[in-house]
Amino acid sequence: MKVFVVFLMIACFSGLPVLALGQTPAPASQPAAAAPSASASAPITDADLKAVQAPRPEEKAQGDPGGTITGNASDISVSDAKKGLTLPDILNEIGQDKIAINFVWTLITGFLVMFMQAGFAIVETGLTRAKNANHTMMMNFMVYGVGMLAYWLIGFAIQEGGVGAIANLGGTAPLNAEHTIRIFGKDLGLWGNSGFFLMHHGTYDVGVMVVFLFQMVFMDTALTIVTGTCAERWKYSAFVISSFLMGAFTYPLFANWAWGGGWLAGLGTNFGLGHGYADFAGSGVVHSVGGVTALALGIIVGPRIGKYTRKGKPNAIPGHDIVLVLTGCFILAFGWFGFNPGSTLGAAGSGNLRIASVAVNTMLAGMAGSFSAMLYMWLRYQKPDASMSANGLLAGLVAITAPSGFVNPVASVIIGLVAGFLVCVSVEFVDRVLKVDDPVGAISVHGANGLWGVISVGLFADGTSNFGGAWNGVNGSVRGLFYGDPGQLVAQLIGGVTLIGFVFTLSFAFGLLVDWLVGHRSPAKAELEGLDIPEMGALCYPEFVLREETGAAVQ
Amino acid sequence: MRVVLGMVVTLAGFLIAMLGLVITASIGGRLVLTLIGIAVSLTGIMGVINRAYLKNAIWKN
Repeated sequence: MKVFVVFLMIACFSGLPVLALGQTPAPASQPAAAAPSASASAPITDADLKAVQAPRPEEKAQGDPGGTITGNASDISVSDAKKGLTLPDILNEIGQDKIAINFVWTLITGFLVMFMQAGFAIVETGLTRAKNANHTMMMNFMVYGVGMLAYWLIGFAIQEGGVGAIANLGGTAPLNAEHTIRIFGKDLGLWGNSGFFLMHHGTYDVGVMVVFLFQMVFMDTALTIVTGTCAERWKYSAFVISSFLMGAFTYPLFANWAWGGGWLAGLGTNFGLGHGYADFAGSGVVHSVGGVTALALGIIVGPRIGKYTRKGKPNAIPGHDIVLVLTGCFILAFGWFGFNPGSTLGAAGSGNLRIASVAVNTMLAGMAGSFSAMLYMWLRYQKPDASMSANGLLAGLVAITAPSGFVNPVASVIIGLVAGFLVCVSVEFVDRVLKVDDPVGAISVHGANGLWGVISVGLFADGTSNFGGAWNGVNGSVRGLFYGDPGQLVAQLIGGVTLIGFVFTLSFAFGLLVDWLVGHRSPAKAELEGLDIPEMGALCYPEFVLREETGAAVQ
Repeated sequence: MRVVLGMVVTLAGFLIAMLGLVITASIGGRLVLTLIGIAVSLTGIMGVINRAYLKNAIWKN
């Protein structure tokens, strides 16, 4: 009986939206408004403009509590006071207003993404032990500065130096120098050559500054992923050098190929594969690059002392503060509203009102990820594990990052549900089969789910987005396999194999170089004592009594 | 030495997928070669490089 009642309730609640979706729209009760007359659409003349009445000063002096007279024709800048307001004045003002809206949108969403650094910092610190809290926080704090320095000096030019004119931001004309190589009769973009120090090649430009700020905080997100995997045993000097190399070369190179006019973006125009590699906000560019680099360095650095028994059985090493973890996740989920909707690089024109569905897709996928991860852990281990629910939220957000601009809400929930399940399975695989120690689960959250996000574009993109009428130089909207374009799926998979095959190898080679230069691993004594004193010179929590740990004890 | 071999295998997976772009124009052919490339790269990472490191893992000492 109970089952029947539950079934009836589910049928009622789930049936309603299905019926609603299937209904044809009811005819409007009022007749449609008549089309504008020919005279209404006649060109505006300067005589029309002279007839516009601005509010009188005495009206303004009485205040404007209703907001009805503030902002009017008298606020438009006039180029020649003798002539008064002219049509070119209005058109220039409209153009500048559009770009101003897009500047403000992109900058504010960039500020939100910057705040994600705080979220990452406390998530990672909460998931590690108290004896390493200063070290973990400092890595997350300084990755911002080290990464930015590398990106300003070298990385930005490699990534965006050849991106060309970004119409939403008024042109960005100086970013026009892409180094290409001619192979197979096609020009393939490899890296940009313009924008070193933000001074070179005319890049001291307001549009370029907006692009730099927004792309810089994305790059820093990728870098901070690695600090989680290598936490609690990574030598601080190795961290600094590795982060510099990643910010200067590894990240910008793949980002150029995907977003900066490189060969992956050109898979559509050059090889007829859909709209080329499509990664709206960076499941691949940001998260997978971070995830595969974390895997490469996690292998080289090796597991923490005590993580595995002599027979290779994994021990759980719980973090010290679940409050930090869950609070950090909320900060990250908040920041993601900058990450994904901000990737339109504008709110005005060119189909940018899609920001509304991008934002909703983002929150839905995050919810679905945390829900399926919680459910998986509850069913498998009899408890709704907090840290894995948190990772489920992040996994859903990572996975929706690439498709957020191209898919509908139902697909977003499916992508999120798969992500939450995938992160749990992947964490177990990395921990038990690969035996790569990843204290925060970053390889699974960002690497595995970043790849899932990339692939999901090739499956679920529904062909309704229209960002300026084309994507990567191919007319029309991005469609995945389920909406009739199998070539898009191949383009996405080629992006995936580039991440796994090329980015991993490059990151691994840099990792070996740093290992040879300074060594990645902290001494065993320092690791057992906790890295706060040996590496940073101060405890994070000096008044705490920390449990002593020895190699024998943890074995 | 095994680590270098693993890097070569991992990179080879990427090159196989690239080769698919020029030796065939069919979507199916490119899909198959890309999937083979992914499998080869994963073998390089998990089957060669990681195994080489696990041989001398810290917990075995």
